[in-house]
Amino acid sequence: MFTANKKKSILYRLLMMVLSVSSVILLLAAYRAVALANPLLLPSFDQIGERFVKLFTTPIKGVPLTAHVIASLRRVLIAMGFAWVLGILFGFSIGWSRTLNAIFGTIFELFRPIPPIAWIPIVIMWFGVGEFPKELIVFIGSVIPVVVNTRSGVMYVEKQYTDVARAFGASRFQMLKEVVLPSAIPSIFAGLRTSVSTGWTVVLAAEMLAADRGVGALVMRGWMGNDMALVLISISVIAIIGAILSFTLIKLEKVVCPWMH
Amino acid sequence: MSVKQQELEKSWQQYKTQQRKKNLYYAFLTVLSVVVFLAIWEAVVRFQLVNVRHLPAPTVIFQTFIEKLHSTVPDGNTLGQNVIASLQVSLTGFFFAVLIGVPLGLLMGWFEPFDSFVRPLFELLRPVPPIAWIPVVVVFLGIGLKAKATIIFLTVFVSCVINSYAGIKLTSRTHINLMKTFGAGTWETFFKVGVPSAMPMVFTGLRVSIGSAWSTLVAAEMLAAKAGLGYMLQVGRGVGDARIVVLAMVTIAALGATLSALLNTLEAHTLKWKEMR
Amino acid sequence: MDALKKCLEVEHISKTFYNNKGYFTAIDDVSFDVHEGEFLVLLGPGHCGKTVLLNILAGLEEKSGGRVLYKGQEINGVNEEMSMVFQLLSLMPFKTVMENVELPLKFRGMDKKQRREVAQHYIDLVGLTGFENAYPHQLSGGMKQRVGIARAYSVHPEILIMDEPFGQLDAQTRYLMQQEILRIWQEEKRTVIFVTNNIEEACYLGDRIILLSSCPATVKEIFDMSALAKPRDIVSREFLEIRSKISDQTDLSM
Repeated sequence: MFTANKKKSILYRLLMMVLSVSSVILLLAAYRAVALANPLLLPSFDQIGERFVKLFTTPIKGVPLTAHVIASLRRVLIAMGFAWVLGILFGFSIGWSRTLNAIFGTIFELFRPIPPIAWIPIVIMWFGVGEFPKELIVFIGSVIPVVVNTRSGVMYVEKQYTDVARAFGASRFQMLKEVVLPSAIPSIFAGLRTSVSTGWTVVLAAEMLAADRGVGALVMRGWMGNDMALVLISISVIAIIGAILSFTLIKLEKVVCPWMH
Repeated sequence: MSVKQQELEKSWQQYKTQQRKKNLYYAFLTVLSVVVFLAIWEAVVRFQLVNVRHLPAPTVIFQTFIEKLHSTVPDGNTLGQNVIASLQVSLTGFFFAVLIGVPLGLLMGWFEPFDSFVRPLFELLRPVPPIAWIPVVVVFLGIGLKAKATIIFLTVFVSCVINSYAGIKLTSRTHINLMKTFGAGTWETFFKVGVPSAMPMVFTGLRVSIGSAWSTLVAAEMLAAKAGLGYMLQVGRGVGDARIVVLAMVTIAALGATLSALLNTLEAHTLKWKEMR
Repeated sequence: MDALKKCLEVEHISKTFYNNKGYFTAIDDVSFDVHEGEFLVLLGPGHCGKTVLLNILAGLEEKSGGRVLYKGQEINGVNEEMSMVFQLLSLMPFKTVMENVELPLKFRGMDKKQRREVAQHYIDLVGLTGFENAYPHQLSGGMKQRVGIARAYSVHPEILIMDEPFGQLDAQTRYLMQQEILRIWQEEKRTVIFVTNNIEEACYLGDRIILLSSCPATVKEIFDMSALAKPRDIVSREFLEIRSKISDQTDLSM
């Protein structure tokens, strides 16, 4: 907190680094102790390593780990593409026009509190267990934050900016294109960031409930087959991919919005 | 009253009438859109434009709701029992997560050594979607209240820590220096300036996490439970009864919306000093 | 005075705001003329409805009563002959200096090459050459205000409205910007309506000063400053005399 003391001694910084490293070491040691005490519940590090190699030598459902990752990513990216385009368009229209918001915003608010995961059973009943239903569920999950953030970004454009545009005689369309859209971008991006993490969570749930490919299916297979090493490996892969996705989005934001600090 | 004042008074009344008309117009549109939506839904089902087995009409859902209040078919619980089971799990997990997560985040944001120690662990666990923890937790704790509450705990905990941490980092330097000038110690400054400054962000964290807690709960109950709304959803799908599935969805949505509304009210009461948009 | 052409006539303007709880009169029967080519200062305390008055002139705000005549013609709403420098800098944070300055020209449908040229001319005039591609957050307060001035000039307005443009600046920069605004005004002669709550600034800049009262705003007195040549010496006796004369008349409420 006390960032004013910028010039901290090297010794102090070293101590902080030691603290950081030791916490990770402690975590690993704690895991090892628990795993040793409960060999039936948790695999040792060696077993996890072996299991990881086996994912490639004897692949699950005939495809290696990478193919499962790609299967999940594909679902997320396709669904998210639609969610971004449609969500921004829809959010924009209900943010821009109070009448449209009263009509369609209301319907949206009716559906909004349904958690995306709760859609899974009915979507499966409607469309079976193929690719489309999973993409649809991810779409439902990731479109909501995009709509919500786009709408509020457009609704709450600062008056000082719209005043400038009005004073200089902007038409309604020019106002939208030159002022409202760009000033809503930070808020839209916040929505996109949320949609990525929601989408990634939802695809996982969908795959855990009904799929034979994808990282979620791996978790489920490990769980049902009493193969905790597989569960832990899958969780790590899921975390890494999730982190990469959100990191990519932050980078993208820096490229699209060069004016933000 | 002068003539001028009378005139002003008159135009004020005009303004109020106009404003009332405008608000009525939008309220009317809002109600109309819901009514039309439900009517279309009902009509689509009545005229069998879709498979009735897969999409029950709103009236049928309402009927099911009445029946389900005392019927235990097909999942072995009445609707009320399911609601109570779900609320119990989610509120227990939520409560403990707030109790531990908020102070942890605040301390991490205030004391650097503490931050250095806890942060790496936190950053390692953060990107794991809470749903992925379900198998691990279930293997250790079974499928009872404790297991599901733990999963909710993990969900809420992460956003509590992140937001409290970010919140307390926003404490203005001026306020801290002011406290120092008055001779306040680190802890006193922490409680009197740091914690209040962090409160708006803490509430943001709570609002985000009540939504994700509720969503994770549904997943947990679908995967491992003997009661609860998620379980009802899953059984409904298992026996192919769309009425049960949709009723569960509606109940989940209604409760979720109620929980966030309660939290918003709490926030408005706690943060009276803050101007809300 | 008769020799001067009236450019803008403000007649009996009043403005009352309403909400559900009540109403509030910000401006009460304000009338004055603006002469062609003059530097007119509206001086008034804190929140006395000066901004509202300017917003009415610029067409951003509806008036409750009265009328505004531009060269004898009644005007309503946004007028192409007027341009504004805003109190909050109001630069678009997502546009570069160049894009901010050429924005009004874009709104008026000027083609890209031409508007670049015009914008460049005014960027040079306000002394920001070399900062065309900077974003507002990279500029200091004074530089941001220069962008605001260039933007207002870019449309070749007959009348420039400036709403406490230097209110956010520190004293040093403010003094510098006052000199700058005079330089720019002398280079590109326009009618200027300048609002401030700072007496010294008013005396330094104004050809005439219209002193407004506290809420609701009414015209208290009009001072003719044209006898004092510009640039003015702020410690000369004449300056100090007129300054104290004005400050005796000023409502102190801030």
